[in-house]
Amino acid sequence: MVVKEFISELRTAFPDVEMEQAQTNCDLGNNGYVHVYPKSEDEIVTILQYANEHGKKIVVQGNGSKKGFGGEKETADILLSLSKYKGIVEHGAGDMTVTVKSGTSFQELQEFLSEYKQQVSLDPSWPKYASIGGVIASNDSGPKRLGYGSARDAVIGLRIIYPDGTIIRSGGKVVKNVAGYDMNKMYIGSMGTLGVFTEVTLKLRPLPKKESVVLISFPEGSFEDIHAFAVKILDSMMEPVSLEFLNPSLAQKLIGKKQFTLAISFEDVESSVDYQVKMIQDMKPDQTTLSILLDNEELQSFWNQLYSISPNGVEGNLETKETEACLKVGVKNLSVLNVIRDGQMLQDSHNLVVTAHGGLGHGICQLNLKGAREDVASVITNLCQIVGRLKGYVIIKHAPLSLRQEINVWGDKPTYLFLMEGIKSKIDPNHVLNEKRFLGGI
Amino acid sequence: MPLKLKTKDKHIKKLAEIVNGPKSILYLKEDLLAYDCDGFTIHRHMPKAVVFPKNTEEVAAIVKYCASHNLPFLARGAGTGLSGGAIPINEEVIISLVRMKRLVHVDLENRRAVVEPGFVNLKLTNSISEKGYYYAPDPSSQYCCTIGGNVAENAGGAHCLKYGVTTNHILGLEVVLPNGEIIEISSDGIPDAPGYDLLGLLTGSEGTLGIVTKITVRILKNPEAKQTVLAYFDKVSDGSYAVSDIISAGIVPAALEMMDKIAIEGVEAASFPVGHPKDIAALLLIEVDGIEAGIDEQIKEILEVCKKRNVREVKVAQNEQERARWWANRKTGFGAMGAISPDYLVQDGVIPRSKLPEVLERINQVSEEVGLRIANIFHAGDGNLHPLVLFDSRKPGETEKALKAGTACLKACADVGGSITGEHGVGIEKMEEMRFVFNEEEIQAQTAIREVFNPKNLLNAGKIFPSPGRCVEIKKEMKATSVKSEEKLLEFS
Repeated sequence: MVVKEFISELRTAFPDVEMEQAQTNCDLGNNGYVHVYPKSEDEIVTILQYANEHGKKIVVQGNGSKKGFGGEKETADILLSLSKYKGIVEHGAGDMTVTVKSGTSFQELQEFLSEYKQQVSLDPSWPKYASIGGVIASNDSGPKRLGYGSARDAVIGLRIIYPDGTIIRSGGKVVKNVAGYDMNKMYIGSMGTLGVFTEVTLKLRPLPKKESVVLISFPEGSFEDIHAFAVKILDSMMEPVSLEFLNPSLAQKLIGKKQFTLAISFEDVESSVDYQVKMIQDMKPDQTTLSILLDNEELQSFWNQLYSISPNGVEGNLETKETEACLKVGVKNLSVLNVIRDGQMLQDSHNLVVTAHGGLGHGICQLNLKGAREDVASVITNLCQIVGRLKGYVIIKHAPLSLRQEINVWGDKPTYLFLMEGIKSKIDPNHVLNEKRFLGGI
Repeated sequence: MPLKLKTKDKHIKKLAEIVNGPKSILYLKEDLLAYDCDGFTIHRHMPKAVVFPKNTEEVAAIVKYCASHNLPFLARGAGTGLSGGAIPINEEVIISLVRMKRLVHVDLENRRAVVEPGFVNLKLTNSISEKGYYYAPDPSSQYCCTIGGNVAENAGGAHCLKYGVTTNHILGLEVVLPNGEIIEISSDGIPDAPGYDLLGLLTGSEGTLGIVTKITVRILKNPEAKQTVLAYFDKVSDGSYAVSDIISAGIVPAALEMMDKIAIEGVEAASFPVGHPKDIAALLLIEVDGIEAGIDEQIKEILEVCKKRNVREVKVAQNEQERARWWANRKTGFGAMGAISPDYLVQDGVIPRSKLPEVLERINQVSEEVGLRIANIFHAGDGNLHPLVLFDSRKPGETEKALKAGTACLKACADVGGSITGEHGVGIEKMEEMRFVFNEEEIQAQTAIREVFNPKNLLNAGKIFPSPGRCVEIKKEMKATSVKSEEKLLEFS
């Protein structure tokens, strides 16, 4: 297909929609010959209908931070960017709910809410780039999901456009709702394969009155002590918002200590936070070092660094020859210790850098790999075996296209894949949206 | 050896063989009477038979048999559902899961437990409380409702304000699909399994997508401390504003419940009176839990909010006994209406919290319009209202009036951007009201999902979604049938 002809065809079909021919390709794929930037829901509807009727394929993206997540193709016909579809639709401050257009960046949303001392209690990677639609579509979460849950706990309503242009509302604006099937859940984490989110409604939480992070770094070889200490915290009356286990490479970047480190964070009223910090100080195992982050700047900088440790699809790394990948690993809570430890061991046995962290209260880990392509590929294969033995899963959240074409991004097909294929074919029978970007080639 | 059964029905004979004997099947009319409805008693229908499988394989075999012989079937737990989800309107074979009631596994370190669907909700907390753990979702029927039923209905409860409803606590499921195939989704309880979130879709699907045979749930550590506050208001609006103010103050109470004057009259006349003043307009029952060191600060703030909103009297429970009495008074609130009215109809609307005063006013108007008293008991913190329409079915026309009032209350909720059900489910009761919140395309989007799981629609057909012919039929029948409070053995919020 000649791209020039295609774009002029699109310009005729949508004279008012902003669009451009694709610029240079990056190595992540998931591009489109033509990029369109709708500014209204009507425009999104007409673009989808056009593609559906003309056999065109669409890649959906917010700001592109997850360009390296799933997908086996260099480019689709159209890249539908929601980066210009943004803003707050409705904020019920008293109801503690917000409806926001899907292209709004997570950071913009939080900044808006902070004026009301409220927040969306999610902590995804790259808040300055990640659009709320993308966070929900990819079901991204961070260390604080231990205390606050994940997207499926925060989203109460969605507005989604199906490939045939039908506008579907799921859920609503209330925090408790069992009318009909819980369609929100199905759309969350569906990687844009079912429809295009235009609006997301979330329940909010008050900003905590006080926050503190306690960092405990362990000496080498004290793996059993770490396990025992973690169990002791989990079995106590304490209510940490995160209990994140950091590998030495990551701890060095964040706090300058090349040691396995536990980051235990508390958010509550002041007296409660102080009391729990004191409890941790009293429990501190021998031969460990403890530091406490208390003031806002320190805390902000710690979290910001942690949220931007993974590679993203916006900044890219075309200048370096190194390959970067990011893995999401799910295991049972305490198996996180094994995953992070083995990740560190793989760094030592291969010539690459692994920065890794995982939540001991929720079982989700993130491992970032950086090194020569073959080392990255080999470590991924090794990790898949290790995690397989722990009965967990590995999802490749970010990798160059060429690597994704070789390695199975979503892992093995479940026995019930046919149900998912059935869902996809009911909603997007022509496979217009994000083709082959999801589990089992959906 | 062939089983001795008092029937010639070949299907019943075959089903009896699958469950290994006559003691695991009911098929005589007198035995089936107890299964003609659930907690929603306005509509009744006799099942073909009730079978009691002991394990997943038996469930699968029953389902396979039914599917291959085009026999409609449905699953049932304790039968406490309030929207008619387990009523066999198509003369279904009822698959009762009450004999699958084992606590299979508890893993405290990883904070999860595996139960069979017939396991009773409260039993789980009781089984792990000595170790300091509990299961959070607490429907008022928790002492007898099953976790399988909770999954089907995505059950809520008073403490869901802080801890979420059933779906927030389900980590894995074993499911028998409507064709008899057994699938396991995240059976190890690891969150975010790759692929569409089928766990989320199945939870709350009211038994129309599959039959859950094993459930992995999240368990939580008991909070270090809790305190409970009771506040009496002379004006409903003051109580409503206090609810909003507490939340706006940045407090997330574990529970925040409200009752109005008529409801208070009911609970005080019933089995668990606590001596609430008779002349107050509304009361709030507020519970805060968490780290002991932080509780006093929050309680202090709650007391201040109440005072600012002209509270007449406010008190903190002095001990566990007092707290338990206050909660027993609240949790038996629905049944208590039987003490002041021969019949009642409970509704389950949800509204944005800030619309409380407006909607309560509208419910008041509805009450005047139809000439029936309406009591309000509700989970105010999350805007989940339970208007209780009081009526006397012996008086001609009152049942119709009550149904009309119930629908009008749901309309009032939907009109302010709310929902028609927060925790009771749609069942057969609110199928028509689904149109208050969803358009035709949105309803079709949902039935398309049912077609994926349940293509022959033999499993629990005719529930949740309105289809013109059927709905009219049921509404007609509902109008023709009366409801007696004393018949409602299982009445809960």
